[in-house]
Amino acid sequence: MDRMEARNPLVPVKVPGMLHEERESKCEPQRSEGKSSVGVAQVRRGPFHPGGNVRRCAGYRTAGRFLCYCRTQQAGFWYLSQGTESGMVEKYLNPAVRAEHIPSAMALSCGCENCLLGGGTTPHSPLCWRTPRRFWKISGEQDFSCGSGLTVNRMPSELDKKSKKQRQSLLEKVKVKSGRETGSAEKTRENIYIRVLRRGAGSHPSHIVKRTRFWTQNEARIGSRHQRAELELLPREEKKYVSRFWKEIHVGDFVRLRCNEIVPADILLLSSSDPDGLCHIETANLDGETNLKRRQVVRGFSDLVSEFNPLTFTSVIECEKPNNDLTRFRGCITHSSGEKAGLRTENLLLRGCTVRNTEAVAGIVVYAGHETKALLNNSGPRYKRSQLERQMNVDVLWCVLLLLCMSLFSAIGHGLWVRRHQEKKALFAVPESDGSSSSPVTAAVYSFLTMIIVLQVLIPISLYVSIEIVKVCQVYFINQDLDLYDEETDSRLQCRALNITEDLGQIQYIFSDKTGTLTENKMVFRRCTVSGVEYSHDANAQRLARYQEADSEEEEMAPQRGSWSRRGSTGSHQSVRVVHRTQSTKSHRHSGSRAEAKWASVLSRHTAFSSPMEKDVTPDPQLLEKVRECGRCLAMARHQEQPLGRLSPELSDIFDFFVALTVCNTVVVTSPDQPRQKVRVRFELKSPVKTIEDFLRRFTPSRLASVSSSTGSLATAKCSHKSGSGFLSSLSSDSTFLKLQERLGQPAPSVSSNGYSSQAESWAPEHKPEPEQCQDAELRYEAESPDEAALVYAARAYSCVLVDRLPDQVSVELPHLGRLSFELLHTLGFDATRKRMSVVIRHPLTGEISVYTKGADSALMDLLLPCSSEDARGRHQKRIRSKTQRFLNLYALQGLRTLCIAKRVLSKEEYACWLQGHLAAESALDNREELLFQSALRLETDLHLLGATGIEDRLQDGVPETISKLRQAGLHIWVLTGDKQETAVNIAHACRLLGHDEEIITLNAESQEACAALLEQSLQYARSRAPCSTPEKTEGNIPVGFFPLCSASKPATTAASGPSLSLVVDGRSLAYALEKNLEDKFLFLAKQCRSVLCCRSTPLQKSMVVKLVRSKLKAMTLAIGDGANDVSMIQVADVGVGISGQEGMQAVMASDVAVPKFRYLERLLIVHGHWCYSRLANMVLYFFYKNTMFVGLLFWFQFFCGFSASAMIDQWYLIFFNLLFSSLPQLVTGVLDKDVPAGTLLAEPQLYRSGQKMEESWPRAFWLNMVDAAFQSLVCFFIPYLAYYDSDVDMFTWGTPVTAIALLTFLLHLGIETKTWTWLNWTACGFSVLLFLMVALIYNSACAACYPPSNPYWTMQTLLRDPVFYLTCLIAPVTALLPRLFFKALQGSLFPTQLQLGHQLTKKCCETLKTPKETFAQGHLSGESQTELSQGSPANPSECLARDCASQASQHTQQPPACSPEASGKPSAVDTSVPLRENSLLGPLGPSTPGEAVSGECPGHLQRTPLGPGQAAPLSLFSLPSFGSLGWVSSLSAVSGLGSILRFSRSNLHVAKRDGKLLPGPPQPEQALSGSQRPATDS
Amino acid sequence: MKGIPEHHLSRMPDNTAMKQQNLPAYQLRFSATVVLSIFFGTGVFCLCMGVILILSVKSTKKIEINYTKICSNCAQLRENAFNFDKECICSIPFYLPEKMEGNVYMYYKLSGFYQNLYRYIQSRSNNQLVGEALRDVEDCAPFKVSHHGTPIVPCGAIANSMFNDTIILSYKLNSSMHITVPMLKNGLTWWTDKYVKFQNPSFNNFSSKFAGSTKPPYWPKPIYDLDRNNVENNGFLNDDFIVWMRTAAFPTFKKLYRRLYRIHYFTEGLPAGNYSFNISYNFPVTRFHGEKSVVLSTLTWCGGGGFFLGVAYTVTGALTWLASFALMAVHLMWKKKKIAYQKKSYALRRKTENRNGQ
Repeated sequence: MDRMEARNPLVPVKVPGMLHEERESKCEPQRSEGKSSVGVAQVRRGPFHPGGNVRRCAGYRTAGRFLCYCRTQQAGFWYLSQGTESGMVEKYLNPAVRAEHIPSAMALSCGCENCLLGGGTTPHSPLCWRTPRRFWKISGEQDFSCGSGLTVNRMPSELDKKSKKQRQSLLEKVKVKSGRETGSAEKTRENIYIRVLRRGAGSHPSHIVKRTRFWTQNEARIGSRHQRAELELLPREEKKYVSRFWKEIHVGDFVRLRCNEIVPADILLLSSSDPDGLCHIETANLDGETNLKRRQVVRGFSDLVSEFNPLTFTSVIECEKPNNDLTRFRGCITHSSGEKAGLRTENLLLRGCTVRNTEAVAGIVVYAGHETKALLNNSGPRYKRSQLERQMNVDVLWCVLLLLCMSLFSAIGHGLWVRRHQEKKALFAVPESDGSSSSPVTAAVYSFLTMIIVLQVLIPISLYVSIEIVKVCQVYFINQDLDLYDEETDSRLQCRALNITEDLGQIQYIFSDKTGTLTENKMVFRRCTVSGVEYSHDANAQRLARYQEADSEEEEMAPQRGSWSRRGSTGSHQSVRVVHRTQSTKSHRHSGSRAEAKWASVLSRHTAFSSPMEKDVTPDPQLLEKVRECGRCLAMARHQEQPLGRLSPELSDIFDFFVALTVCNTVVVTSPDQPRQKVRVRFELKSPVKTIEDFLRRFTPSRLASVSSSTGSLATAKCSHKSGSGFLSSLSSDSTFLKLQERLGQPAPSVSSNGYSSQAESWAPEHKPEPEQCQDAELRYEAESPDEAALVYAARAYSCVLVDRLPDQVSVELPHLGRLSFELLHTLGFDATRKRMSVVIRHPLTGEISVYTKGADSALMDLLLPCSSEDARGRHQKRIRSKTQRFLNLYALQGLRTLCIAKRVLSKEEYACWLQGHLAAESALDNREELLFQSALRLETDLHLLGATGIEDRLQDGVPETISKLRQAGLHIWVLTGDKQETAVNIAHACRLLGHDEEIITLNAESQEACAALLEQSLQYARSRAPCSTPEKTEGNIPVGFFPLCSASKPATTAASGPSLSLVVDGRSLAYALEKNLEDKFLFLAKQCRSVLCCRSTPLQKSMVVKLVRSKLKAMTLAIGDGANDVSMIQVADVGVGISGQEGMQAVMASDVAVPKFRYLERLLIVHGHWCYSRLANMVLYFFYKNTMFVGLLFWFQFFCGFSASAMIDQWYLIFFNLLFSSLPQLVTGVLDKDVPAGTLLAEPQLYRSGQKMEESWPRAFWLNMVDAAFQSLVCFFIPYLAYYDSDVDMFTWGTPVTAIALLTFLLHLGIETKTWTWLNWTACGFSVLLFLMVALIYNSACAACYPPSNPYWTMQTLLRDPVFYLTCLIAPVTALLPRLFFKALQGSLFPTQLQLGHQLTKKCCETLKTPKETFAQGHLSGESQTELSQGSPANPSECLARDCASQASQHTQQPPACSPEASGKPSAVDTSVPLRENSLLGPLGPSTPGEAVSGECPGHLQRTPLGPGQAAPLSLFSLPSFGSLGWVSSLSAVSGLGSILRFSRSNLHVAKRDGKLLPGPPQPEQALSGSQRPATDS
Repeated sequence: MKGIPEHHLSRMPDNTAMKQQNLPAYQLRFSATVVLSIFFGTGVFCLCMGVILILSVKSTKKIEINYTKICSNCAQLRENAFNFDKECICSIPFYLPEKMEGNVYMYYKLSGFYQNLYRYIQSRSNNQLVGEALRDVEDCAPFKVSHHGTPIVPCGAIANSMFNDTIILSYKLNSSMHITVPMLKNGLTWWTDKYVKFQNPSFNNFSSKFAGSTKPPYWPKPIYDLDRNNVENNGFLNDDFIVWMRTAAFPTFKKLYRRLYRIHYFTEGLPAGNYSFNISYNFPVTRFHGEKSVVLSTLTWCGGGGFFLGVAYTVTGALTWLASFALMAVHLMWKKKKIAYQKKSYALRRKTENRNGQ
């Protein structure tokens, strides 16, 4: 009886070992007494061979006792699964088998109950069996035997008492330990208590969790969280739940959870307080989605009349092995009656979820601890190592090699030296202690080892530490960037990965999702077509346009939004004005309608997809009228008890259409006042049809008569088999609802603007308008996908309001008809293969069973009822269909997401027939998915097309600009989307991914062979690049409306430069193309193309594409996405970027960087990526340089000390040199240095290419760097050597100046490499020198007889009085750095020549092209960026602008002349005439520019100032105010320093040009649409 | 909706110059002006310094006499360790053509003698030298204790190999008159060495201070007999010993041996004339192909060192100038080229543009 107590002591076994021993000693005497079993003795004594088939024994020895757990392959007793991983098996080994209850082998083979709940020990160590059970086991209360198959368990009563006492004391301990307050609800995982009702051992033969049928009464435990204190006192018979730690939960435990508690393990839901047997959970911890998801009680338990009683649970559960598939769970439960029921994902509460909206649930644990799906999924992030780090590691290896070489050289040298001096008995030779001189070989070996230690500075251990520090700081700065902060969502960019910041500067390929990434993922209902009639929803379009206007207004206010800072800059002369402007912008935001919308969205952030923009739909008056009419007819029909057949086909279609919109979804209705309170309005209690009997019962003719409208007549009739509560609720349904409405609070003024509410009042006077409005305003829809929500909101605009959704019924508020309850018979959820979802409902008015299907047009159009053209109806249908198809194409062309709505009416017989199959499929154990799929296919045929909807997904702000910028930066952008081709292509056009004058190669292949052929052709074409003949093979496949765009661009593409290619691939072709034999071709083709668009791609394909590019092209990849479908791609890419947008947090959680919007990518990559990379690359190079140079000094000295490995630099200096003296400046530089200012980088994205090319130039840069280091060390060694040659200097007095020289050289070198000097740099450098001096002075005066061998007493002090010290310290660094400076200067004037010329060239072109961006770019580069700026003598306006840009964002448009006066005002040293002339040109041009700027083309539009041919003058060297503007420089010295040369690529020019032309592009489809629209509406 | 308090923007980063990386910064750019001025400036400075240094070094006088070969008979004698007690005096006459003004220092110079060997420099006991613990010979291996187990004082390889030639400079006043040039034995060391780092143990009787110790194996006499005449210069405080214990940085080194005592004839330095070194040759160097020299030298403000620093400054200055001229030339050439290329490419571009336009 007491066993159970012993088994479940309320003890957190945190340190099992300790506790053991404590108990061990106490219980020792009793144990021996209790052990009379033969088996135990066997175990104790020796090797154990039950079946002769022992595979492995694990022993565990405590205090003289040996516990042995063995696993045999098929022993009668120690059953263990075969083929399981050994780690698992180890875990399954349960030392604490309650064998006395379990006569059979199966029971003994334990479940996963011991599997390290929340623990972290290794499964292999015996200590991992650290459950409380072992605890009592060891104490002797229970024992197990093996081999004999018999278990004897003796529990002396006194022992029991004793252990009880111990437990009591332990209990106290626990309380103190965890500091818990009784009754308070802890949330932390460790402390949370759950009510556990433990049962007998779970068995676990071969990965099927089976419930044993037997369990003992005394195992039911008593107590609850609040009664923990009297836990021990309660009589065991009461059998209550007790509180337990999470880690104590084992498989087979019964767990009861209350609302808002976190599920501790994977629990099979057996009971719920919800009368429907439902449990709502929030999976935010798993996937970040905050909408409620529904879980169902296992069938069989939901029908239990009384409360679930674990004591009577006798079923056996079988389920699959623990796996990491969150969306799949299969198994079956066998009840004691022999009845079997399938288990599904809907029955499983996953660990980590939160129970919501449900008072209490109970269930049985099927997976616990590390076997839960959540933890199995948690494979840990892929460790990403940045490319730079990889290169660096190679270099470190080189350094090791160098070290070895040096040591070896030195050792050989020493050996030779010793041999030479061996016989001489030189005075200075130090013999061995026995007087003999050491042999050369021994001496060499010692020297080698000593050298390794002396020269180990060469291995830059501190480099890794420094890099980490720098990266942390970089991440901090990125996180802090105000320009990456999104005010709308109050979120800022988060760098979640610390170690790959510099990869951001090397990206070559960007893989982007479309929906939610490029677009806002705010699905807005735009238009629809019903029964072949298009309702264009013009008002709706206008409303949306208003949002757009608000946007563009804002854009006017801040044209450079997203590019440059919006805030005032400290150094700017305009700062006052700037601040003012910023404020005005803000106030505008607050007052504007858009702003309201934003704020609303901020407010309602916790409910997805419910921004006002999405919620408010302005109904089309025509359609509204029809809906009303339809409602009126139906109401009339109902009153007159007439069948509904009187409705015209169109009206009935409309009616069905809206019913489908409302019903055919999985939207959960909640009320915002109590956000997680489900609105419960029950009219009757029914569950979805679960059995045939149920069906028969429900669909008897007598039932049909009773129309289930708003009264509970049916419910009363049916309630007999339902619980009382349901009965009550159904009886009081109406009143409940009214109460609810009252409870919902004051009827707030309708937020749903745009006249809907007024209309609603006008047409529905007979209804209580107020509560209804209130309802509309207050009800909130939580949808899994934004499309669903958009459709429900759209239906609501037509006053078809989804009021409530229960598993078995949907309540809809219809015009004139009032509230209707549709009996929901089945919901066939959406899946990617079917691309549609269906609901089966019973119509409340007609009683007929209908199927409403909603899905992609491609999926639905083929499933329609074949219509004969004979009868009129068929012809009508046909016409409708063709019209709808046309509209669908039109929608797709507009970039709308289309959905088709269809209906099917089932006869009872058909339904019964289908139901039978479906039920069989549902309960099938094998192949269930497949069967369900087939079943769904059977249902979704012969559909009757109702109509289609067009949902708009707007482009995010700044996407086209960002894309063009990224393009200029040399990034290839691939869009991988699941959308259909037409939509994707359109969006691609809209965001200028595809230029309108681009050739588009479309790969739509039906088979592998076709795909191969297509690829071959395309390749040939791409190679030949013949004048545009749009690839013939694509023509057949190019969809209507899309082709003309391409052909229209033909003439343009014949230009000499040739058009760039784009590739569009659909999912199926992609699958073929990704096959092993084709992937190379595909990749080659894709490489030729400027952009690649993959449509209809699955998440797996996305990741495969990324992987392919990453592995084959060896390119740095970045994947950006927002949804769960992008997770795999994000994880595979070198850098994964998640958009913390609308669709949950899954992508963000998988990502390395989370950005609020796509447009922030521009700044992230171009500015921060570049900075991070250049900073880190420079720092790494510097580090190598530093170490090599320092080690060089020591090495050269070996030539003068007989290679005896002595160091002239004091040991402490050697230690501190890297650690203290020279570390800070490089850190500061590594963190803060900006080789190019942000403004310039943004204006000239080409600069980004330096990072991409760095990879190739890295080895060269590295070795040059090393050579320089060697040279410098030579200089720094030999200058002091020669200076002190032939003097009486001693070794360490000479070593100190060498150290000082090295330090000064390092600092000066760093000074050359540092581009921006802030006070921090100065401080750090000063600090370094001072620190060295101080340390040296203090150290050298600290102790006269210490620190052997240097014994540096008063050395520094003496040196400071020695002029030679200063002289050498001056000349050595100067000489050492002279070549570097010289070559840097030379490079600045020679290599950038090409760069300069390129920019000159493009400048000229841009004059004619009038592409402002390019001019700007050249202005910058030729003007050598900021050099003159900092010197205050702007040579041309671009520089002045550059400064402005860098400092202040949004001012240019408003104040075009702002910078020109400044430019003219600046004194120019030599020739002021040039700038003046420019200003005079600029003046009149200024005002004209804002207009262009509004187009959003380029923030730096001002630069567009045409420079006349004479303007070349500013670039000639000595006529310039600034000498340097010619580019002596290294404006890109980071770049040039690393030996890479920036070239201006001509292709950029084309891009820009095209972009410029593209501007008027987008209206094109609009026109086409309006053209085709007219005939459509006419008909 | 409008009354959203500002704290909703809680995640907004601070707009500070530091966090936004907008710290006021001086942009170090190597533009032509900067680079050329740096080069020219450095060049001028270096040249000036070089000239000054060369001139000042030129004013020093130095005479160096290598007596390894001159005293070869002594050297041969010393090659055999059994002759250690035989005295060998070698006289080296030389002529000083010019007067050496000011302080004249006498150095001995050894080459091929490695005082910087790893094990050599470690073989000393600072504690012993500071007079605290004569028995602390831990670091002195292998010259720690004698066969009898008494500690060697001073212990260690450095002390053991101490230079022990005696060099006496005598001036030939006239053909028959030789006078010994007065030399000072003190002031040869750093002040801190003499008064802090090296201390004799404090006992009443000087020689009893070192009782119970053994002289180093190579030494002919114990430490307390280094200078019997002058207690201040005896024991660990012996200047020659202290100088020797400061291990030289390079295998060729000189160490200060004596400085001129400027009295009588020598108040202004060493007058020109005939001199001779009378060397008591004790220190064997030929065994390891070493060489011994004696050096007389005067010093200037920048030490007595050679011309190297001056030359280094001059050469660096010259190189810097060369470099700057080269840069200038490159710069000018590049400018011409650029303009030409510019014109050409502009024309080319126009052509393509026109074609495109059509």
